[in-house]
Amino acid sequence: MYGNVVQAGRGVRGVRRFVRRPWRLAAEVSALLIAAVVAFPLYWMVLSAFKPAGEIESTEPRPWTSAPSLDSFRRVFGQQEFGRYFLNSLVVACSVVIVSALIAFLAATAVTRFRFRFRTTLLIMFLMAQMVPVEALTIPLFFLMRDFGQLNTLGALILPHIAFSLPFAIWMLRGFVKAVPEALEEAAYIDGASRSRFLWQILFPLVFPGLVATSVFSFISAWNDFLFAKSFIISDTSQSTLPMALLVFYKPDDPDWGGVMAASTVMTIPVLVFFVLVQRRLVSGLGGAVKD
Amino acid sequence: MVLGGLLLYPIYQLGLISFFHYTQAQVSGGQPATFEGFGNYREIFSDAQFWQVLLATVVFAAACVVSTLSVGCALAVLLTRVRALPRLALMLAALGAWATPAVTGSTVWLLLFDPDFGPVNRMLGLGDHSWTYGRLSAFLLVLLEVVWCSFPFVMVTVYAGIRAVPAEVLEAAELDGASQLRVWRSVLAPMLRPILVVVTIQSVIWDFKVFTQIYVMTNGGGIAGQNLTLNVYAYQQAFASSQYSLGSAIGIVMLLILLAVTLVYLRLLRRQGEEL
Amino acid sequence: MKPSVRSVRSVRLVAPVAALALAGFTATACAPETSDNSSSGKDEQTGTLRVWLFQEVGNTPKEKVVTSVVDAFEKAHKGVDVKVEYIPVETRAQRIKAAFNDPKSAPDVIEYGNTDTAGYVADGGLLDVSKEFAAWDEATDTDPTARQSVTVDGKVYGAPFFVGVRALYYRTDVFKELGLDVPKTMAELTTTAHEIRAAEPDLYGLVVGGAFTYGAMPFIWANGGELATGRGGSYASAIDSTAAQKGIKAYTSLFGDDNCPAAKCAGMGGNDTITAFAAGKAGMAIGGDFNHAAVQAGKVKDDYAVVPLPGVEAGSVAPAFAGGNNLGVLNSTSHRTLAVDLMEQLASKQTQTRLFDAMGFLPTFADVRETVAKKQPYVAPFVKTLAAGTKFVPASPAWSRIDSSLVLPTMFQEIVSGKKDVAAASAEAAKKMDDAFGSAG
Repeated sequence: MYGNVVQAGRGVRGVRRFVRRPWRLAAEVSALLIAAVVAFPLYWMVLSAFKPAGEIESTEPRPWTSAPSLDSFRRVFGQQEFGRYFLNSLVVACSVVIVSALIAFLAATAVTRFRFRFRTTLLIMFLMAQMVPVEALTIPLFFLMRDFGQLNTLGALILPHIAFSLPFAIWMLRGFVKAVPEALEEAAYIDGASRSRFLWQILFPLVFPGLVATSVFSFISAWNDFLFAKSFIISDTSQSTLPMALLVFYKPDDPDWGGVMAASTVMTIPVLVFFVLVQRRLVSGLGGAVKD
Repeated sequence: MVLGGLLLYPIYQLGLISFFHYTQAQVSGGQPATFEGFGNYREIFSDAQFWQVLLATVVFAAACVVSTLSVGCALAVLLTRVRALPRLALMLAALGAWATPAVTGSTVWLLLFDPDFGPVNRMLGLGDHSWTYGRLSAFLLVLLEVVWCSFPFVMVTVYAGIRAVPAEVLEAAELDGASQLRVWRSVLAPMLRPILVVVTIQSVIWDFKVFTQIYVMTNGGGIAGQNLTLNVYAYQQAFASSQYSLGSAIGIVMLLILLAVTLVYLRLLRRQGEEL
Repeated sequence: MKPSVRSVRSVRLVAPVAALALAGFTATACAPETSDNSSSGKDEQTGTLRVWLFQEVGNTPKEKVVTSVVDAFEKAHKGVDVKVEYIPVETRAQRIKAAFNDPKSAPDVIEYGNTDTAGYVADGGLLDVSKEFAAWDEATDTDPTARQSVTVDGKVYGAPFFVGVRALYYRTDVFKELGLDVPKTMAELTTTAHEIRAAEPDLYGLVVGGAFTYGAMPFIWANGGELATGRGGSYASAIDSTAAQKGIKAYTSLFGDDNCPAAKCAGMGGNDTITAFAAGKAGMAIGGDFNHAAVQAGKVKDDYAVVPLPGVEAGSVAPAFAGGNNLGVLNSTSHRTLAVDLMEQLASKQTQTRLFDAMGFLPTFADVRETVAKKQPYVAPFVKTLAAGTKFVPASPAWSRIDSSLVLPTMFQEIVSGKKDVAAASAEAAKKMDDAFGSAG
């Protein structure tokens, strides 16, 4: 859409067609090249996961392996309660995504559609918790969680993650709510739409790309968290999350790189699946939604 | 309620702790916490290394923010100009980079650039050149990794922002005969501005606090500590040995610096007539 | 935007947001929070005992041994239920501190790294078991360094579980091809390293690392130096003594184009050196018994052998650092007698023998070690190193800070990269160590 606008500005309409093709081709080729460069470390990670022990660090680094082996993956899946960790991670990440998206949507509408003093101050205050080293926060948070009786439960992971992903989500969605023309809102009311109908049936779909982007953000940060998981899930390993299954392979004197790579590969896949599931919403844009 | 408390109460505790002598022995109640006034702060500010680390952190973070934002925005624009297949490819690659746990990402990059075992030196014909020995080249390597794993955030966010601009608005502008530059300046940029602002602030915060990449890739701060950044320094001097009060004091200093940067940035925007 | 009817509704949305902000200011207190971790004083004879052990990469054999010990223990004590949890080593710092902070989540018995002993004792987390340890008949065979690793200020805070020690790995094929003899003194070690590098420029002679503190310590100790001297809370650094400086010089002289180029080796840690050896990039390396499997999986498999690291005099062995893990009982336990009993069962000669068979953990009892060395020849040089006498880091809580702030690696790297000479760098390191000893007291 944006591309079209840019092209449209390019003078004579008849020429447009011819200018457009090589331009787009160049753009697509470079997009693919960049994708390849960006994906290369990922490829190396997956490759290392399949390499037999001893081949990961060899003086002949080869971009393939002659003897692919599933040993590393076997060590990952062979861990006690691996499935349990996976489910826990999924529960934590999904709760964080859903709850923070909902709260952020409402709060973003509030701060955008209503001007009040200290609005910016409030948002900056939300960000303050992110400005200090997270290790510094674990001790106070630990006592909070203990007082709430949340230690050793998934709640001790969900609550802080929601709190940490909210500032970005609110601020981000503000941009999206702001982009919705006020005329649209007026029109909706003139058409007799109720406020909640406007909020959920008109505004909500309009800001969906923003919700998707913030959801990806909160999903990834909750999914990959090590620190809260190891600080707040103390005595109940059945409440542990997936990163703990990865940490097992980081042994101070004798790390198991094959296991690390395999576990990381396993951890990355659900994020990609999540993204593939939501990306259509991100890409489809708003043209259609507004016309309805 | 709960969530706000979760964010602000720890900060309050942090400020409090920074004025006490507070280590693990105090946390577990073995010894009483004693009030030290500005003692912890005096200890930090009188340490010559702290100032060096602070300077390195600021410069490094600035470089990371600028590179991440430019790469992220450029690719977001690129995404709008390509068809579905290359778009999905680039997005998935970027998402994979973003989703990779930071420790693993750092390890893989280190492996790729290893003088003995890495393919990059082979491809570039660099022999056994060591990337982590020189101060600048070590910072450069870490910077590349940081950009690799954080540009996707910028890219996806800005792309979503561009997508959110209703087609009607753009069409209307076009029909009015606005030039391409004008469309960007008077329609797109203002609409993306709030998003760019938050993306910038988030990037500043993250890059100022970069930890894992430095810790893993330079083996805890580089040769003789040449690649230390503030967060790693705080970890090594304080958190790893449970010197919470000292760590909190460093944390408060970081908070004040970041707060100042944020406020100055917002004020500059306001002066340009941009209302947040 | 002008206030409108819509805004009124928005106020309702804003209210909670504003309330969130307020919450932070209302929840105030006057001092930082602390918890009460004083010992419970109770000594119940029934109930649940909780045990935390480290989760190894291939954990099943360890679980099998532990389960059989636990089953026997439960059979011997009616009404006692033992729950064992395996935690990743990487998470130990947070978990164990959290256990000190929240006695409700705390286990009764834990496995911990032996360099953490002094820190945990200072945190008030570990129970003094001197009396029980003295009364335990098997403890008489515990090797002195292992005993030192559970001792702080003359009191015993646990039972040694296994030890880990490093020795000299060398390439038999390279030595044969070049007609080299296995070095018998530290001086020979250096010349042999140079010879290998001169003949095979693609190999490091002896691969060393600027961040490989435990590989460097034997050089300091063999030359008569110490990291620090003193007892209990009053340690003083000795890293800048003449003897220690001699050791530092010996170690740092190995960095250079004639053995291990500074550009590549200054940043290496213990793992990197053993990785280089396993991949066939080095003629010699200093590695632990725990690295055996990784080397065996590498390119050099079957083309290497291990001997104790030679000392200054011919025939002597350089004192190695005795790493390893201990078992301890937490202060907050309400089952003191049972917990100590279980700890002794888990650290007994019989259990350690079985754990060696299952996991390759080197036993902490000298006599048991001799027996297992006969079964598995590869451990013989490590057992010999242990028998020759090993050393341990200062039993001070300050050690964790000295270790985490990389005082010693920084010193080696400053020398190796030519930023400072040995005297200046070691003086600086000594000052930093003394600062840490002073503030931790």
